Amino acid sequence: MYEIIEGFIEAIRLIVTLDPDVMAIAVRSIIISLTATIIASLIALPLGAAINFGKFRGRRSIINLIQTLYSLPTVIVGLLIFLLISRAGPLGFLRLLFTPTAMIIAQTVLIIPIMTGLTISALSGVDPVIRDTLTSLGATRFQFLINIMKEARFAILAAVAVGFGRAISEVGAAILVGGNIAASSFKSSTRVLTTAISLETSMGNIPQSIALGIVLLTIALGVNLVISTLQQGRNP
Amino acid sequence: MIELDGVSKEFDGKRVLDGVSARVERGEIFAIIGPSGAGKSTLLRLIGLLDNPTAGTIRINGIDIHASKEQSLMIRRMIGMVFQKPAVFNTTVAENIAIGLRFRGVERATVIKKVREALDVVGLAGYEERLARTLSGGEMQRVALARAMVIEPEILLMDEPTANLDPVSVEKIEELVIRINRELGTTILFSTHDMYQGQRLAHRIAVLMNGRFAQVGTPREVFTLPATRDLARFVGIENILEGVVVRRDDGGAVSIDVGGTQVRARSSFGTGERVALCIRPEDMRIAPVERKVANPDGNTLQGTVISIVPRGPFSSVTVDCGFMLSSLLSWKRADDLDLQEGSHVVVSFAPESIHVIRINET
Amino acid sequence: MMKKRTIFAVAAVMVAILLICGCTGQPPAEKQQLRIATTTSLYDTGLLDHLKPMFEKEYNAEVLIISAGTGKAIEYGQRGDVDVLMVHDRPREDAFIADGYGINRRVFAYNYFIIVGPESDPAGIKGMEPEEAFKTIREKGMAGEPGVVFVSRGDASGTHSKEQAIWKAAGFNYSTDIRGSGDWYREAGTGMGATLEMANELQGYTLSDIGTFLAYQRDLDLVTLVDEGDILLNVYSAMQINPEKYPDINSTLAKDWINFLISDEVQEEIASFGVAEYGQPLFYAAKDAWEKIGVPEAEVKDPVL
Repeated sequence: MYEIIEGFIEAIRLIVTLDPDVMAIAVRSIIISLTATIIASLIALPLGAAINFGKFRGRRSIINLIQTLYSLPTVIVGLLIFLLISRAGPLGFLRLLFTPTAMIIAQTVLIIPIMTGLTISALSGVDPVIRDTLTSLGATRFQFLINIMKEARFAILAAVAVGFGRAISEVGAAILVGGNIAASSFKSSTRVLTTAISLETSMGNIPQSIALGIVLLTIALGVNLVISTLQQGRNP
Repeated sequence: MIELDGVSKEFDGKRVLDGVSARVERGEIFAIIGPSGAGKSTLLRLIGLLDNPTAGTIRINGIDIHASKEQSLMIRRMIGMVFQKPAVFNTTVAENIAIGLRFRGVERATVIKKVREALDVVGLAGYEERLARTLSGGEMQRVALARAMVIEPEILLMDEPTANLDPVSVEKIEELVIRINRELGTTILFSTHDMYQGQRLAHRIAVLMNGRFAQVGTPREVFTLPATRDLARFVGIENILEGVVVRRDDGGAVSIDVGGTQVRARSSFGTGERVALCIRPEDMRIAPVERKVANPDGNTLQGTVISIVPRGPFSSVTVDCGFMLSSLLSWKRADDLDLQEGSHVVVSFAPESIHVIRINET
Repeated sequence: MMKKRTIFAVAAVMVAILLICGCTGQPPAEKQQLRIATTTSLYDTGLLDHLKPMFEKEYNAEVLIISAGTGKAIEYGQRGDVDVLMVHDRPREDAFIADGYGINRRVFAYNYFIIVGPESDPAGIKGMEPEEAFKTIREKGMAGEPGVVFVSRGDASGTHSKEQAIWKAAGFNYSTDIRGSGDWYREAGTGMGATLEMANELQGYTLSDIGTFLAYQRDLDLVTLVDEGDILLNVYSAMQINPEKYPDINSTLAKDWINFLISDEVQEEIASFGVAEYGQPLFYAAKDAWEKIGVPEAEVKDPVL
């Protein structure tokens, strides 16, 4: 018990004094996961729209598959990406392993299914009359899609927020393809909140772990706040 | 300018439209009435290019609108549509109305001007920056109408536009429909299950029953001279009697035997024909049995009052004269006659007020 | 027509992403990078992070250290994902070198594994030889002596390898006599820190490296019971990945790192690391102890060329 209290006090000190190590890790986490979320959005949103509005065979099965992939274990994604980008793998020549880019790729792959799935639900949740209205107002296919997305913007932003939350709280893939490196330069480092917590704990640095945990919780809490606000359809 | 030629539509093998044919002229207000589920919305959706017919063609200005995908957008942009459920985009009122213009790449200044004008017309001036979702149903539907109107479509399709609205909003929408038609010359097709709305607004009415137009005509034609018994029932003719023509007189007068009672009417049908007689309740008069009714050419039947039911400012009185007849009386008249259930009365109606329809034995 | 356009859009996005990845993948070559895969127990002591800035300054390089279990670290080496491998599992290192993946191995430090357990020492192993201590724990554990529990790493780490080697030396077949032989033997399947905490909760025995134990000691009710015996020797070595297998290995910097580790200056640094914090060193310099370690003199002294 004493350990926890002591850890908390030290953790608060680390946060309040903006400890450079803790801050660098937090900022890096946000940058990596935000980048992954942006890239995943660029793929998942059009993909979700294509699946939702596409008329093709096996559409239902694809949606089922995507929903199954929601629960894709992160270490499996990590392993898959690792095998692809490892020097001995097919994309090894790119020398991506143990770089922030590798973590971005892994997180992107990891969150694409859930973001695509949530985009599909968001779009299919739009009132059919709205769709008919857009068509009847003379929308081109593109104008139609853009405006349906606008109409579903709160739900889509919630999907994006969910993706970010999942990306930033993921640890298995991050450690496998990132390597949890603390390099002297910011951009070569791959130590993020989750991997750092795991390391600091195994090194017995409990206060550091708690501090990082508080930062991660705060971010997750903020993200959830955004999601619940968006789901109520209010302006953020 | 809009030609419907044998238009049919099936959903999962269920035939909703079964060969609808008609012609709607430029500048006309054309009402499609029919019972719920008759396919009114389906027909409008086909014309609005929101769906494709299973068979038949729809031509606008001579072009088969479902023939090629390439011209689909061009045709859609000639048509405006308002739906039964007031649907607005989750943005400001001004943005809602501007959207069709945006699609067409209209420049900003013009958009602003046109939106303001449209809001003026629908009586929502100053609502530009309001969030459309916060409006009442009637206001939303007016936004929807302004949104469809602002693109100046040649054709405006409205699918039961007032079905979910309060009476005041209905009146406003109806005024706007007439105004848009008059001022812009827009051809308007609308569907309704409210016959009186059809009557109030339309130049012509088409009655959609069993997947096809049972009758197309002016409101007067449709309401007074229904082509079939079903139509007669649908347009609200409560007294429909079946009988056989037993005698023809000179001048088009006939005698028809209705379950042993002779009824005189005007018709060209020959003796032996099975016919249905349609008599509007408001054309029926009721008098106490003691009072002598001098009506040598008319029909005078004795009977007993079965029920008196208030209907709006009238009372609907049902009399058993061997067959049931309904009559519509003002409250005051009903009071003056001191009508009660069981009262003996005389029902009379002129032969001219009877619409005779031949019954086809099929 | 529309579908094609959608597919095209998706394809365009993917190409764009590949370009982004491609661009950020290779950082501008201002500083050379050295990638080292190492075992967690070594990394967690903080020794490498302590040495890293010295090297980086001297060679104007950037050192990227990936710490993982010995098995995974060797896997990274085998796949050419790192330039240098630093582990403490002699037999597996030998196999790695024999397979042609590793060259230029140098031993740079050593210390001893320790057998730790509750102060009450229910099996009574204090001061025994390691093999005898293990034998006793098993005997008492099998007999159901209350409180006799052994917690194993159970994760194919270097420490786990050492534990298996001791069981073997004590005359047991690990997979039949030990593993699953009874409730007394528990596999943690996790890192050293977590295994120590588990042993602490169960008040059981475990084998630990000295570094991790010292780092955790403050929070544990466990004491060192056996710390002497040749078999407990824990030898840390570094080797480079064979550039013949992976031509784009940073061979020059890898050699620099190995030579840096066995330099006199760094050997002294290693020998004094941790004294300030724990009152005792975590490692001994390998420099003059080649006989004790049982390796050729060249493996501790000769710089790689």
